[in-house]
Amino acid sequence: MNAKGKYKRQDMVLAFWLILPTLLAIGITAFYPLGQTIYDSFFKWSLRPGFQRQFVGFQNYINLFKDQRFLSALWNTIYFTIFSVLIEFLLGLATALVLNADFKLRGLVRAAVLIPWAIPTAVSSQMWKWMFNDQYGVISLMLYKIGLLEAGTPILGTPRLAMAAIIAVDVWKTTPFVALLLLAGLQTIPVELYEAARIDGAGLWRQFTSITMPILRPTIGVTLIFRTLDALRVFDVVYIMTQGAVGTETLAVYNRSLLMDNIFSPRGLFGYGSALSVVIFLIIGVFTIIYMRSLNIKLD
Amino acid sequence: MKKVVAVLMILVLAFSAFSVTITMTAGAVGTELETLYKQVELFMKENPDITVQIMPMPNSSTDRHDLYVTYLASGVSDPDVLMLDVIWPAEFAPFLVDLTDDYKYFELDEFFPGTVNSNTVDGRLVSVPWFTDAGILYYRKDLLVKYGYDVPETWDELFTIAKDISAKEGINGFVWQGARYEGLTCNVMEFVHSFGGEIIESGDVVVDDPKYFDKNVAAVAFMKKLIDEGVTPKGVTTYMEEEARRVFQNGDAVFMRNWPYAWSLANSPDSPVAGKVGITVLPKGPEPNGRHSATLGGWNLGINKNSSKAEIEAAKKLIKFLTSHEQQVFKAVHAGQTPTRVSAYNDPRTLEANDFYADILDVFLSAEPRPISPIYNEISYEIQVAVHSVLTGQAQPKAAVESLAKNLKGLIY
Repeated sequence: MNAKGKYKRQDMVLAFWLILPTLLAIGITAFYPLGQTIYDSFFKWSLRPGFQRQFVGFQNYINLFKDQRFLSALWNTIYFTIFSVLIEFLLGLATALVLNADFKLRGLVRAAVLIPWAIPTAVSSQMWKWMFNDQYGVISLMLYKIGLLEAGTPILGTPRLAMAAIIAVDVWKTTPFVALLLLAGLQTIPVELYEAARIDGAGLWRQFTSITMPILRPTIGVTLIFRTLDALRVFDVVYIMTQGAVGTETLAVYNRSLLMDNIFSPRGLFGYGSALSVVIFLIIGVFTIIYMRSLNIKLD
Repeated sequence: MKKVVAVLMILVLAFSAFSVTITMTAGAVGTELETLYKQVELFMKENPDITVQIMPMPNSSTDRHDLYVTYLASGVSDPDVLMLDVIWPAEFAPFLVDLTDDYKYFELDEFFPGTVNSNTVDGRLVSVPWFTDAGILYYRKDLLVKYGYDVPETWDELFTIAKDISAKEGINGFVWQGARYEGLTCNVMEFVHSFGGEIIESGDVVVDDPKYFDKNVAAVAFMKKLIDEGVTPKGVTTYMEEEARRVFQNGDAVFMRNWPYAWSLANSPDSPVAGKVGITVLPKGPEPNGRHSATLGGWNLGINKNSSKAEIEAAKKLIKFLTSHEQQVFKAVHAGQTPTRVSAYNDPRTLEANDFYADILDVFLSAEPRPISPIYNEISYEIQVAVHSVLTGQAQPKAAVESLAKNLKGLIY
């Protein structure tokens, strides 16, 4: 594309000045901290007064991959991401298809579905933490009653179960968001296409696979990117419900611990924490690129 | 009108040249903050040249820590007076004014020695004990009487009594704090110390020292046994202070380990167990090394190093005022926070408001601090992980203590 031929010089100057504030804002709030974090990740240092900054090259990164706590946090994060996004997507798609149909009080139902999404995560996590309580929790009680769990089992204190519970809370909270995004996509599909398909004798399944899915693909792509990026840096729900105990620690929770709890540690963990931040950034970047490639999404 | 304003402005300016404003962080647990406002008002009346501004902080200790980290790391001079958890002095020492020469000024000889020790880092005094805390055992007086038991003296007695009564009453035996967080470290220290074990001794990792190893393993194994035998609910691995208190206060447990704050709540008019609760020292471990042990908690007051000279002087006055006998009694009466001065326990006003203090004075006198180290957070995390893995059935006590020793020794710097 030859931009120069297309636009007048005057317009280009105006555009530059219009974009500048945004660029500055992004530069200060996103690129500068990112650059600083990458820089810090090559040092062994701490904010403890008198601590000598030591350049260690890639040592922090090498140490990370020898760190059992990092490796399990990485695995937990990926596990959380795969299951939460997959379940949210399937449930969200089903919900969107239902909400797209014509029925009485549709507006009301659409609004009601969004309630879990509207509750701040800190509040809903605390609420669910109570419902999972071993003595007074309503969810625990139901699971004990129907015999799925042995009475007294603490859901958030049992390995694997705790992660499942956290995923369930995330699914409860975020499915409405996924449904909303997909619903917006569904509404762009012209009704005529389905009519034509029916006349050609296509069944419901055929209509779904040949019309709905292809047209919905860009929306699905954007939804999955949104959700995956969110899930990969999940923090609040884990931090509130278990603080990362019994195999639920995610990368962001470990990172908080390194950068906040141990910020003044004479062991110089601030650079190490920065390295972990960079790794999270890279993982999210890789996931984004994979999605964009495989779904053929263009961002311009 | 303009003239009046001008004169007023000049007066304010002239006045402020001699006056100093200091800021102080404060918690808001129960009536803590209201009480402090009253105390500060009195202080300002006595010291008209000093203005004190209170900065209320989140109640969670971890959240407060994160805020302090931000203030201190950025090098600002506010807050001038910092309310510090008993485990922070070593970590924050480089940011705090050295108060060693003011030992006499603050009359620290009159304080519980344990509280002063926990504020002393490498021989430097960095903060002054404000109010203290110690783990204590709550028990149901009515149930012990009903089944003819005495208050347990040893862990084995507690185990037997709790098992018997809980089975007959259909409630839990003994609740404590077993979630993987700082409170677990406090509980572990009590079990370990009461069994005669030790984790860190004068800065050295001794958890696998032949002198202590078996006792440490026995202590952790006992914690697991409480759960396995149904004396403690399995859910204890998710309990913090409030979860435990709710179970106990609801009448669903015979014994509870908690801090003194639960006393007034358990005896509040709407509490199902009001008037049926007793408190005592935590039981001791088996002979010959068993002893009673309570982990020291509490809060201290330190001064920000970045404050100006005038602010530091004013801050010292404020700290001296707040930790005086009179004000500690006032705090104990109005906020129920336990004094750090021995004399406050002999004051009839304190005892009238908190009659249980007399029973547990010894507990406060002998409360044991957690390890004092600038990497305390990392040490505590390793302890939490090791013990929690045993409690949740992922590791055997012996293996967990061994790996704890290895991990703690790996934290060299």
